[in-house]
Amino acid sequence: MNTKLLRMRVGSLVLLALLLLAWEWAARGFGLSALVLPAPSVIFKSLWNGLASGYFWPHVRSTGSELLLGLAIGCIVGFASGVIMSESAFLRALLMPYVVVSQVIPKLALMPLFIVWFGFGMTSTVVITALICFFPLMENTLTSLQQVEPQRLELFRMLGATRRQTLLRLKLPAGLPGILAGLRVAVVLALVGAVVGEFIGANRGLGALVIASQGMMDTPLMFAVLVLIAVLGMLVYQATLALEKWLLLPYTKVS
Amino acid sequence: MSFLAMQQVGFTFPGWPPVVRQIDWDIEKGEFHCLVGRSGCGKTTLLKLAAGLLHPDEGRIALHGMDVLAPGPELGFVFQSPTLLEWHRVLDNVLLPVSLQHRPTAGEIDKAQQLLAQLGLASHARHYPRQLSGGQQSRVALARALILEPSLLLMDEPFAALDAITREELQDDLLQMCRSRRTTVLFVTHDIAEAVYLADRVAVMDAGRIVQDIRVDIGKPRTTATRYSEAFARHCSQVRAAMDKVAA
Repeated sequence: MNTKLLRMRVGSLVLLALLLLAWEWAARGFGLSALVLPAPSVIFKSLWNGLASGYFWPHVRSTGSELLLGLAIGCIVGFASGVIMSESAFLRALLMPYVVVSQVIPKLALMPLFIVWFGFGMTSTVVITALICFFPLMENTLTSLQQVEPQRLELFRMLGATRRQTLLRLKLPAGLPGILAGLRVAVVLALVGAVVGEFIGANRGLGALVIASQGMMDTPLMFAVLVLIAVLGMLVYQATLALEKWLLLPYTKVS
Repeated sequence: MSFLAMQQVGFTFPGWPPVVRQIDWDIEKGEFHCLVGRSGCGKTTLLKLAAGLLHPDEGRIALHGMDVLAPGPELGFVFQSPTLLEWHRVLDNVLLPVSLQHRPTAGEIDKAQQLLAQLGLASHARHYPRQLSGGQQSRVALARALILEPSLLLMDEPFAALDAITREELQDDLLQMCRSRRTTVLFVTHDIAEAVYLADRVAVMDAGRIVQDIRVDIGKPRTTATRYSEAFARHCSQVRAAMDKVAA
């Protein structure tokens, strides 16, 4: 099993190398302009220059902090709303239409409005990221807390548990796998929110850099930034997976 | 006065025909009673009424002469499935009824360990429920129901999902645990042999009524040999006949 997994990993890497080689060969062979499709070697040089000169770092830091801040705010508010709405049928009925409307509007369409409200820069991007993360967390929390097995609720009633105890000691732990699945979705969406938010709302950050490289007609730089965005996304996603695996250890352990 | 007394108990879920009607039943301290009947005859509902999870529309149910209004530490309940919390270790699952009231003391932890040892699970205390077999999970559920030393134990087909041999082992464990504690038990099952093996008295239920009351006078303690004795077979066929008569 383990050797099989290793072989698959090696296979993926070999495939990547082959694709890059084919790309390099095509870019040189067909004499494509670097403006249209730069060769991987050119992209790598641009990436290396940016990293070595320190040009990329403030942008990475900016996008990273917007991502984490937006994710944290969106998830906390989403989780709290999910809990409140699952506990109170009245609030659920009262608030649900507004939540749905707020989610049906494409949030990126609100970005110009946020620039008017919060100014050009980090705050607007954080707000849009948080708004995007809010929904999956709220939705999953609400659903998970309502899907607790009726027999377990009866058990807690039988044992004279208070409402608070039932929430903290039964519903939340029982709903944890579902809530963490929501977090995983939120993390992926958060990166989209942060980068696209920067397209129009910031002059710093990887999204702003993509737009700037377009303006400078520096396509190798644009590709280099896309690589950075992909790496950032992979890092955050893998960290979430590791967190999930660790938290769910007792739920999954079988031997 | 009986330990648990039901008088003219009736219960109806709104919009449905009555589930339980005019039940009169008494259980004396330390007795083991089984309720048998086909699926949907109201036996689980009657058990929940006795637990105080539901309240009768008619009649009254009294424990020690006091009306049963809400579940309390007097009662232990074992569900159809073990309903263990998979994020807690086995020991913490057994201690759940205690830890919902206060932080378990050293003495209570010892008691939980002892219960687990009696059920042959001493080495599994630090494991998580998912790491146990179905029979072991049922034992943990039994230990959890006994940790507060309830005087009345209510069980709702707790062994229905187990294989025949594991079920017989658990029946023996249950009888032994209850005898040593003088626990009164009301046990719901649809398995005739299980009812006769466990019970001092068997109530046959149909369409919300108790249609027959069968006293099982087979000596105790009951052993594997009991299962193949002539008296055992006679009682089983008596219960069976009672159920058939209802169906006819």
